[in-house]
Amino acid sequence: MNVSKDLIAASATPLILAILKENDSYGYAIIKRVKEMSENELIWTEGMLYPVLHRLEEQLLIESYWNKSDAGRQRKYYRINERGLAELELQKKQWEVVHSALARTWSEESQL
Amino acid sequence: MFDLEIQIHSWSDHLRAHGNFTEADIHELESHLRDEIEDLVAAGLTPDESFLISVKRLGNLDAVSHEFAKVNTESLWRHLLVEPTDSVAKKGNRRDIALVVVFALLAGTLFKIPEIFFGLGLNDQNAESFYFKNLSLFILPFIAAFFLIKRKSDWRTWLTILGIFALSALIINIYPSFSPHNTQILSGLHLPLFLWLIVGVAYIGRDWLDSKGRMNFIRFTGEAAIYGVLVLAGVIVLGLFTQVIFAAIEIDVSRFLEDYLIVYGGSAAALITVYLVEAKKSVVENFAPVLAKIFSPLFLAVMAAFLTVMLITGKSPFMERDFLIGFDLMLALVLGLVLYVISSRNDHQPANWFDYLNLALIMTALVIDGVALSAILFRLSTFGITPNKLAALGENLVLLGNLGGLAWMYLGYFKGKYDFIKLEKWQTSYLSVYFVWTAIVAFIFPIMFGFY
Repeated sequence: MNVSKDLIAASATPLILAILKENDSYGYAIIKRVKEMSENELIWTEGMLYPVLHRLEEQLLIESYWNKSDAGRQRKYYRINERGLAELELQKKQWEVVHSALARTWSEESQL
Repeated sequence: MFDLEIQIHSWSDHLRAHGNFTEADIHELESHLRDEIEDLVAAGLTPDESFLISVKRLGNLDAVSHEFAKVNTESLWRHLLVEPTDSVAKKGNRRDIALVVVFALLAGTLFKIPEIFFGLGLNDQNAESFYFKNLSLFILPFIAAFFLIKRKSDWRTWLTILGIFALSALIINIYPSFSPHNTQILSGLHLPLFLWLIVGVAYIGRDWLDSKGRMNFIRFTGEAAIYGVLVLAGVIVLGLFTQVIFAAIEIDVSRFLEDYLIVYGGSAAALITVYLVEAKKSVVENFAPVLAKIFSPLFLAVMAAFLTVMLITGKSPFMERDFLIGFDLMLALVLGLVLYVISSRNDHQPANWFDYLNLALIMTALVIDGVALSAILFRLSTFGITPNKLAALGENLVLLGNLGGLAWMYLGYFKGKYDFIKLEKWQTSYLSVYFVWTAIVAFIFPIMFGFY
């Protein structure tokens, strides 16, 4: 199933923040994690992910640092900070509002 | 044979040339590409298959670049002043700025100490030689310390480098000097070069023997020279305006300017330059290689024309000593041009016409150096040995060695005997020759010639 571009864009921020809340991560691993969590339904491209990461960093929701990978290569890691966690809570509530509203209308639909 | 490293390099060079990426973005994308390739290789694909698929998956570069452009809209100038590649670097950057301010104040104050305690004012006639030979010792130790802190050097490195500075200061001031002060002037001229190479050790850090680090230091030197001139020009303009506007209300501030602005402004200019060059490293295309590429054909034309006219008219330009020094400076400059064209070159690129131009430039310089050498030998045999002539002879021999070696390596490279990395390695190890030679002139010449 193709998820629409708008929906992917809208869900990018909460997904990234949630993944970073689990632990610090880097671009390639984030894309893999999203794919895994959505059971191969959400395939992010690099051209979409990195600009969002950089924008979140500019908004001071996440921080980045360079670190060595296991193989000794330099990698840019991202971590979430206090503001990011607060933003994640806010987004969670917003998504819950949307989600429960949708769930209710759809359940009414099926009762008809 | 498929060489994965070369392919990845040319891919990231393509990004550099065509995208709206900062250097940090490129590193990040490159690391992403490598992750992808590693996974595919682990899944059983060959490196070349993995590379092709990964590049394809990273998508249409123009589209990626377009997305990045939205984020990287700030102009290059913002990167020039402060370029934190990530949030942690931002903190480091604030610390660097604090260091620059503190060190500039310390260096300026150090300048004032001889005046306050020993009555050696900066503008006094009798203090001229003192400031001349010690000038580099007022500023370079702080620049070295800046890098020692930045590179988190261990205490042994600290001790060695600061020890060399202290020892040089001691030696240069203990040595007596008798009229006509030839050896004193020579060591005053060579000491800054020697100490600059010591700063280089602090700059490069642990791998100071490594060719890459040394090449970086060569790049750093060129950029620092250009930025230094610009920042200093700013300080001078500031001074002139201050003088003029205060003169308009009939207050003479020239005394204040001489005592404070020159001293503190000069120290600050040096440290700000160092900070700027270090901070913007590889973010904007370096400027020294651009200048070198513009001017190397022009210098080649001028030198070739000069040689032709000299041969036709049969006049030697080296009968006057001043001209000889002028030519040495020009040879050093030509060497600089050659070096900066080399330093900006991609190791894996095939030979292009700048390489041939470089070789032509080196060859012409070699001929001129040969003529100069013969003139010096002639003067040595006719007028006897003096410190100046011996120094000139050494300088020309060192330059000859460098130019000749480069020409040899270039020829081998064109013939396909070596790759370009070997040429760079040779050039960077030749820096040691300069180190030894400047040390000899600064510290051993005075003893050799009885301090005259």
